[in-house]
Amino acid sequence: MSKTRKLLVLLVVLLLAATLVLTSCKGGKAGNVIKIGYTAPFTGSAAEFGTNGWRGVQLALEEINAAGVKVGNKTYNVEIVRYDSKCEPTEAVANMRKLALEDKVVGVLGDHCSSCCRGIAPLATEYKIPSITIECAADNVTSPGQEYYFRMRPSMGLMAPLAAPKILDLTGAKRVGYLGVNDDYGRSFNKSFQDQFGPAGAKTVAEIYFERGNTDFMAFLNQLKAAKPDIVLYVGTASEGAMILKQAQEIGITPGIKFVGSEEMGEMELVSLAGSEAVDGTYAVALWGAVASDFEKKVKDKFNAPMHYAIIFGYDALKVMVDAIQRAQSLDTVKIKDALLATDYAGLEGQIKFETFEGFRNQGRYTPSFIQWKDGTREAM
Amino acid sequence: MSSQTLQAKSRRNPLVTLIILAVVLVVMVLVPQVFSGYITYVAVLAMLFAVLAGSYDILTGYTGPLTFCHGAFYGIGAYTSALLTLKAGFPFWVAFPVSGAAVFLFGALIGYPALRLRGHYFAVTTFFFAHFVYLVILNSVGLTSGPLGLGGIKPPEGFLGINFAGLKASYYLVFIYGVIVIVALWLFIRSGVGKLLVTIRENEELSEAIGVNTSFYKVLAFSIGAGVAGLTGSLFAHFFRLLHPTTFAWMTSEMVVIMSLVGGLGTLIGPIIGAGIVTLILELMRFAPELRLIIWSVALIAILIIEPRGLMGLVQRIRGGRK
Amino acid sequence: MLLQQILNGIVVGASYALIALGLNLIWSITDIADFSQGGTYVFAAYAAYFMVTLVKMPFVAALLVGMVVGGVLSYLFERFLYRRWTGLSRIQLLCAIALFFLMANLAIRFWTAKPKIFPAYLKGSLKFAGVMLSYQRIVVVAVAAVLFVIVYWFIQKTKMGKAIRAASQDREAAAVVGINIHTVNSVVFVIGGILSSTAAVLISPLYSVFPAMGDLPLLKSLVVVILGGFGSVAGVLVGGFGLGLVEALGGVYISSAYQHGFAFIVLILVLLFFPKGLFGKV
Repeated sequence: MSKTRKLLVLLVVLLLAATLVLTSCKGGKAGNVIKIGYTAPFTGSAAEFGTNGWRGVQLALEEINAAGVKVGNKTYNVEIVRYDSKCEPTEAVANMRKLALEDKVVGVLGDHCSSCCRGIAPLATEYKIPSITIECAADNVTSPGQEYYFRMRPSMGLMAPLAAPKILDLTGAKRVGYLGVNDDYGRSFNKSFQDQFGPAGAKTVAEIYFERGNTDFMAFLNQLKAAKPDIVLYVGTASEGAMILKQAQEIGITPGIKFVGSEEMGEMELVSLAGSEAVDGTYAVALWGAVASDFEKKVKDKFNAPMHYAIIFGYDALKVMVDAIQRAQSLDTVKIKDALLATDYAGLEGQIKFETFEGFRNQGRYTPSFIQWKDGTREAM
Repeated sequence: MSSQTLQAKSRRNPLVTLIILAVVLVVMVLVPQVFSGYITYVAVLAMLFAVLAGSYDILTGYTGPLTFCHGAFYGIGAYTSALLTLKAGFPFWVAFPVSGAAVFLFGALIGYPALRLRGHYFAVTTFFFAHFVYLVILNSVGLTSGPLGLGGIKPPEGFLGINFAGLKASYYLVFIYGVIVIVALWLFIRSGVGKLLVTIRENEELSEAIGVNTSFYKVLAFSIGAGVAGLTGSLFAHFFRLLHPTTFAWMTSEMVVIMSLVGGLGTLIGPIIGAGIVTLILELMRFAPELRLIIWSVALIAILIIEPRGLMGLVQRIRGGRK
Repeated sequence: MLLQQILNGIVVGASYALIALGLNLIWSITDIADFSQGGTYVFAAYAAYFMVTLVKMPFVAALLVGMVVGGVLSYLFERFLYRRWTGLSRIQLLCAIALFFLMANLAIRFWTAKPKIFPAYLKGSLKFAGVMLSYQRIVVVAVAAVLFVIVYWFIQKTKMGKAIRAASQDREAAAVVGINIHTVNSVVFVIGGILSSTAAVLISPLYSVFPAMGDLPLLKSLVVVILGGFGSVAGVLVGGFGLGLVEALGGVYISSAYQHGFAFIVLILVLLFFPKGLFGKV
């Protein structure tokens, strides 16, 4: 073997050994640590979601650990065990199993992708690990069988009946064009709104889905333009939305035809990405109205990032989980689950409660607000 | 080509081989008894990938052409089987062979025209074929539920009091399946047809000149690889019980290629070990979410620098004491 | 709408053709399907982005920085990685895929997955016959045209170009007549890196800069190379613009969901009739 090869072999062996050591000594100061798991996409095409959620979780974690968590007569610190799901269900399931069985966490936050949430919800119930999803939006994530799976945000099916009449009131639309990202988020959002718009007399004139990671939307926008809709209902991330609005402006769709966006379009980063000129006039179903300005400042100071609902949800999810632990006064997961069920917590965006009703279990009731962009600021409607 | 694929030399003592094999099998049998559900679950996925990589070796290692669509066959098998049980009410034990056979035929259908292309033209075509299959699964919402995910798939029907809904039973089912398939593949490559495939790999013109219908055998190898991938996909569908297009995106095909090359193509055992190694590295890195894939790709490049012919090449070199 | 879509197809096609030209050169001479260009693309775009936003460079200077970054990265990959495995094209391919992966994930690590908006360097658009075309889009096509001419001239007229052509036909024979294959490889990789990073920097202001931005352009450019055939500049032009048009028109008139699948259908149709691509020589 040549020298470089020997060196490389050594390097790889060292690397693997270092990993082994690092992984094995993680539970070092057990005893006064509460472990909570967090599974989210940190790489891959959905990595943005995990980035924001993690920001919120970190902010909550700092505050929680500054005060300490008192259970019984002991004061604990919270440790987050964080794994990447890549937005793939097989990965999320591996995360959930590792968190529950190897890391012995008492609760789990995540995931962000509905396909992953559907994969881990049965495991939460099987292993009795109370879990709160950060932003999964498909209806069947919190289904009756999933005793240990909780959701704060409204699902698409819950959001649409609240938001659809408001959209029609504001815009008087009779012809609706749909443009969405081709994943569970986009498909289920559009379907839920079509179910509402159809009976109310707003016709579907175009329905277009694009792949995540797409950058050139000219073909789709031209197609929309030709279908002559009154409004375009858009669902996707703010970054894709920003590109779409810029390109829509370029070919003269806006300001003539108004865009109505999903919650991502109500995010501040939309303006920083597309500029206020392209964004103005766009409506959005927003998941947050007016978060206390000191929280917004905290986000700005720590991450130099604009506010985003996933930050709020990440923050609130950890707070709610720790609140339940403190009320349960126990690290027993069954007791924490029971405490979670009784949650009545003042979150950043109103009171958080979990309810069980027709078709849903442990589901938060959250009223979406409605905003329009004016001169680069959100104006409540 | 032969410099990139290893010749399986069996100079070692058969007794040693048998002992190693027996130890490995015993360890594998003990996994679900000794380790947690997490490790058992990861081991199931690794075994499924080991079978994929082994069947991939039949075409690419033993017959020659490089393909990038094994993940697509895996996906077609999974969805076929899931839909047969969900929509047509087939029991798993019928849907399982049927989806394998369907993917075998599908492989032949694709392979016949595609294999006439040479070298890179063929490789890139298979790459985009895989992407196209992904798009079809993604967009046939009425049939596959597309990005909403296909749930509610039932576990294989139990017999003799065994319930395959549990993880341990699933592990043993996949394990037995893996052993059977790999033994079958091993017998296949040692058969006359298998030897013929190697001849085609080593010198296609010559084989043709002596009257071998090379395209028939290449399509056969392609279809067998595809069929095994389809069977494996079916098993995955009823093990995981939630299908989503991302599971079968282009990275899955890439992963099979990477595992095979890391292990060493043309050795059968190499790709199988490669699947284990790649899974192991990825799992060891799970604690570092953002660094995981970075370290993994660096490790991959380092492995290539150490031994371009993969792990089996390293084994051979150590045993042969060369260089 | 038809004319608008044709123009859009040409702009997108120009960016495909630019990357594909480099890929084709690399592929036909070194036998490497250089996936790492997808990573180089990302890094060049980020480099230019930071030059414009942090250093406040003018766009042209940032473009040059991006080109240098692309060229240097490509050179390093060839010199220290691919060269080790001369003749082992599968290993080189695997390494290229690993590099592509590595760079996309490094970008997430360094700059987060959040997209960055590349400020527009040229505002306004051209309006005629009911269509609109922004000046920035016109620049993409214009620069692509200029680079094509330069590369064509370089290959046809210079001494190094002749060596490259000789090497693409027969590597061993070229080595025998005293052509340094290593130098040829390096030059080809540097050209490839420069071309794909130019495409990246030109496209960035139209869309945005994010870690996965290289995926689709890379895949499409691979198709373009195969469509056109190895070693053919004309093939790259026809393949690039052809695919751009097919996607622009097919996305509107056939199906938006399959917009990225048309590449496969076109590929199959072309290869059925031209197994070596439209203009392939080897």
